[in-house]
Amino acid sequence: MASSSSANAKQEVALSREVPSLIESFITRLKRGKVVEAKRVALETAELLREIVSRSAIDDLATLTGLLRTVGKRLIAAQPRELIIYNVVCRILHNVKEEAKGEGGADEEEERAGRTKSGARKERAAGMGVGGRLEDGGRTDGGRGGYQLKMVVLEVIREFMDEVEGTEAAIEENAREHIHSNEIILTCGRSHTVERFLKHAASKAKRLHVIVAESAPGYAGQAQARGLASANIDVIVVSDAAVFGIMSRVNKVILGAHAVLANGGVVADSGAHMIAAAARHHATQVVVCAGQYKYSPLFPFDDDGFNTVVAPDVAVAYGDGALVGAVDVANPHYDYVPPELVDILVDQTGGHLPSYLYRLQQESYEGAGSRQWWGAEGSGQ
Amino acid sequence: MASISDAGSFNVVQSYNELIKEDPSISAPVAAVSSLVKLVERQRATTMLELMKIVPEACEQLKKATGNSISLSAGCDVFLQQMARLSHAQSAEECRVALIQAGTEFVQGAGRCRDNVAEFGSPFVRDDQTILVHSYSRVIMGLLRRAVKQNKRFRVYVTESRPDQSGLRAAAELQKLGVPCEVILDAAVGYIMQKVDLVLAGAEGVVESGGLINKIGTYQLAIIAKAAKKPFYALAESFKFVRLYPLNQYDLPTYRSDLLSFKEKPAATIDWQAELSRSNPMLDYTPPEFITLLFTDLGVMTPSGVSDELIKFYLD
Repeated sequence: MASSSSANAKQEVALSREVPSLIESFITRLKRGKVVEAKRVALETAELLREIVSRSAIDDLATLTGLLRTVGKRLIAAQPRELIIYNVVCRILHNVKEEAKGEGGADEEEERAGRTKSGARKERAAGMGVGGRLEDGGRTDGGRGGYQLKMVVLEVIREFMDEVEGTEAAIEENAREHIHSNEIILTCGRSHTVERFLKHAASKAKRLHVIVAESAPGYAGQAQARGLASANIDVIVVSDAAVFGIMSRVNKVILGAHAVLANGGVVADSGAHMIAAAARHHATQVVVCAGQYKYSPLFPFDDDGFNTVVAPDVAVAYGDGALVGAVDVANPHYDYVPPELVDILVDQTGGHLPSYLYRLQQESYEGAGSRQWWGAEGSGQ
Repeated sequence: MASISDAGSFNVVQSYNELIKEDPSISAPVAAVSSLVKLVERQRATTMLELMKIVPEACEQLKKATGNSISLSAGCDVFLQQMARLSHAQSAEECRVALIQAGTEFVQGAGRCRDNVAEFGSPFVRDDQTILVHSYSRVIMGLLRRAVKQNKRFRVYVTESRPDQSGLRAAAELQKLGVPCEVILDAAVGYIMQKVDLVLAGAEGVVESGGLINKIGTYQLAIIAKAAKKPFYALAESFKFVRLYPLNQYDLPTYRSDLLSFKEKPAATIDWQAELSRSNPMLDYTPPEFITLLFTDLGVMTPSGVSDELIKFYLD
């Protein structure tokens, strides 16, 4: 990056106050599994960034984005498997840049930026390398007053948080397009998005039958069933092993997601892959409900890179001495559902094909897919 | 052809052939643009119209001379599009200078394109993997070289890739890099697929549907990879994106009706061995549904992303 040493020094100053302890405490909470749910992770990450920006006294764009990057890198390094953090940092950086570009007005600064941008785009499309894109991260935006810039950035983060907060409400609006009267829906795991989606559908459609796979050994599915039953939806809980057998009767499978990857693959609760595979066998449609903040600009390099293994005592109790001493018990938390098993992804704006995801992500993330700025493997070569 | 002789009797085709001869590692579109730049440098067109006539004519000559080479056409099209954009310049001279600059940048940037493909693609290569590679491709070599530099340990099967046996060249280079490799018969692809973790293929051209035009054998490789549910990744620089939409194998510009066509042959005297390479095609078309992802210098994309990029470039 082209940021000068003085900018780096400023960044250090900005970080040297009580900010490190804020970051540390968030990292600790992440590591201890206190913040797991995607929405909580997104909101808390954004809140942390907001806090840091509001405490800093930075007056230029380059230093500020540099600061956001530094903090982002630290969080990602602490919890590399948590894709949501990466998404949030990328999105906010992107939005800040967009906002800064738009705010510039008609002065010469803007004109220059406009010219370099179109130049870079032409270059990229012509297959003449991505040199322009790699460098433009360091360009400064001198003209604006520091106070105003900070306000703009805080506003951007605030807007992002509002968007995350409103995700479920926006997604449930799509329910009527996907669920019709008298349909039999199958779902698994605990997802607030899916719960609200189904409740909304139930309030509009005549009769809805929902089958929930119990999602052993955590039994998150049972909690989901409880939530749905409270809205007088006709719910049946089945064991995970019964999914294939019951699939022939199901009209639609609706799944929640922890993250959606750039190829349209989905990181969902453990067991989701099996359900999606059974659905494919019976040619049953699979709908995945996920807010846009879950769209990760990364591709799955291997199936387990982003999985976490959680406490196995729900599968085999620690008290069962003879067994615990003799075997390894693995309790993976997530499943990767490949894009070819997903029929449609529903977000705030409606339904999308999995193959179109990479485009949505390129539009809303900075350096999408390149993993340029946080020094992923292979950089520095 | 009066306008061509104005260019100091500069022969584009000859210049192209010389470039290929000088540097065998240069790829066709780069050599094409390079020779077109030379053409523009040499001639003294005074009007825009003249320029707009000379360059497309030269492109046609190049295409004809190389039997409609697909990647070469892609290079020519990029150059022509660049010229169309620059045609709003004040004068022919200004346009000429800008065109020379753009073309030169393209030629210099081509190597960087390949590096970028390698950078985007190399995370997909992991320790302990077995990779199946088809034929010889510079981009694939670039990617594998980078992976070796990153201290990844993997094994490579290379198809022999008849009739020119270009797989042997790939194997020799891999051997030099210290990568364990084996050359397999083209007919052994199905046999070996179960042992393979991922398949890599280069590209002569990437078409609008996101499909691939590449060395003969790529299509069957992709079909087998799909049947075995192995990821099939295609590597291509973005200047190989071409505006074609082939519907089947016989829909390519390189198609000749005399290929494998049950011609009348004088009985008894047929040399089948010689007939083989004479009447067989060198390229085939792999439809997009067989391609898992494309690694390009614009990033990693699904096949459906190609048309987006083409639209962005040509309809802008």
